[in-house]
Amino acid sequence: QLDYRPALTTEPALGGVRTTSTFVVDQPRCVFQDYGNAVIWLVVALEQAASTFNNSQGPGTPETAFQGFPEPVRAYMTLNATLGSYPCPKPDGEIAVLRVGSETSCTGDVTRPTCNGPLPTPGPYRVKFLALEGSEPVAETRWSTPITLITAKPLSSISTAGRGHSADMIAITTILSILLAILLAGLVAMLFFWGSDSCGGSSTFSKPESVTVRRYNTHHVYDQPAARL
Amino acid sequence: MAKSDDCIHILQGLLVFGNVVIGMCGIALTAECIYFVSNPHGLYPLLRATENGDINAAAWIGIFVGLALFALSILGIIGVIKASRTLLLVYIILMLITFAFEMASCITAATHRDSLTPEHFQKQMLDRYQKSDPANNNDSEVTKAWDELMLQNHCCGVKGPSDWQEYQSAFRLTHSDADYPWPRTCCVLDAQGLPASLDGCKLGVSGYYNSNGCYDAISGPVNTHAWGVAWFGFAILCWTFCVLLGTMFYWSGIEY
Repeated sequence: QLDYRPALTTEPALGGVRTTSTFVVDQPRCVFQDYGNAVIWLVVALEQAASTFNNSQGPGTPETAFQGFPEPVRAYMTLNATLGSYPCPKPDGEIAVLRVGSETSCTGDVTRPTCNGPLPTPGPYRVKFLALEGSEPVAETRWSTPITLITAKPLSSISTAGRGHSADMIAITTILSILLAILLAGLVAMLFFWGSDSCGGSSTFSKPESVTVRRYNTHHVYDQPAARL
Repeated sequence: MAKSDDCIHILQGLLVFGNVVIGMCGIALTAECIYFVSNPHGLYPLLRATENGDINAAAWIGIFVGLALFALSILGIIGVIKASRTLLLVYIILMLITFAFEMASCITAATHRDSLTPEHFQKQMLDRYQKSDPANNNDSEVTKAWDELMLQNHCCGVKGPSDWQEYQSAFRLTHSDADYPWPRTCCVLDAQGLPASLDGCKLGVSGYYNSNGCYDAISGPVNTHAWGVAWFGFAILCWTFCVLLGTMFYWSGIEY
């Protein structure tokens, strides 16, 4: 048994490292160096079934077929590869991951028992890598820590109750209401006191009429003709 | 007599000045609301398709209120200079009606702004985006609006692509999670409109998918819009309040 423990990919940070039916683990680079002839399989098991998994169960058998997962098959084998697929050391900049659950075309196809199909339940699951030479298990890694997938919550769980009304809106409403009330009161007071000149009495003023001054000639002044004499 | 004449002239001057300011603000309010109604950020289809169009209604009211303010300010200036009781009474009553309308517009804008929380958009998006059985036209409009929004702003979902994972959605009913952890519009697309790297997008490798949410792209313009209508209207109304009080005082002092 090798000392490597498969784990969810953390480097680089992936947005889809766990979804509702898939998860992403690192490829086992530089782990199976001594087993150049082996085929490396990924074993995906329900958490409770991990301890009872029998390494001699062959891949592609009904007992390890993906299509029977999770009942009655409690652990399936998929993603087989030779050591050549996992060159060591890993070149910089390369994203070396395995996406468990990416094959959607063979989920119901019993002729493809090693299908890497989407996981039907949120788990939790444990995975390990198993190297087989022929049908003989020669090396295995440790089981990973339990991996639980995301469960989608129903839409009704989104609370749109809101944070209530913001302070701005309350301020606008109250102040404007007060102003409108004052203006209406002013209008009423204005019309009520239309007849009387109480409030504005002291400051009444007359309209700026155009004042014309008519010249009154009280004495008819003529040019006295000199003929009086 | 001379002293009260001076006071009268000062009051007249102030009222004319007040009305001039109201007139200019009315024009400014009309211009601002026309700008908002012309939908510069392309958000209106999204808001209208999700029945959030009331902020737009507030802007429409703002246009007409602005024009009314301008017309009434001219009426007010004439009334003050001629010291005509009838003109000023008409002016005051029409101004009060305009005041009430503008007040309604401000409060509508502010209230509906408050209701546009991220959760509100999340629920509508998840419920209607790519709904396979569009009961009404609105659902395909919502899908188009969201696609345009996500393409233009290089964003995904409301709070992020995790919206599509954390909640059930109409999209999820027709698109399997393994093939479509999030819609293809969330992927970085090349010139032909295809994802630059489909695997990279599905894995969520940064650079191949848009990891930020669209809420900022929505709330920024909506906030500006709502506060522009609400607060500017509020300022105009405060100034109008003072001018109206002054006019009432002036009116009650005119000899009839």
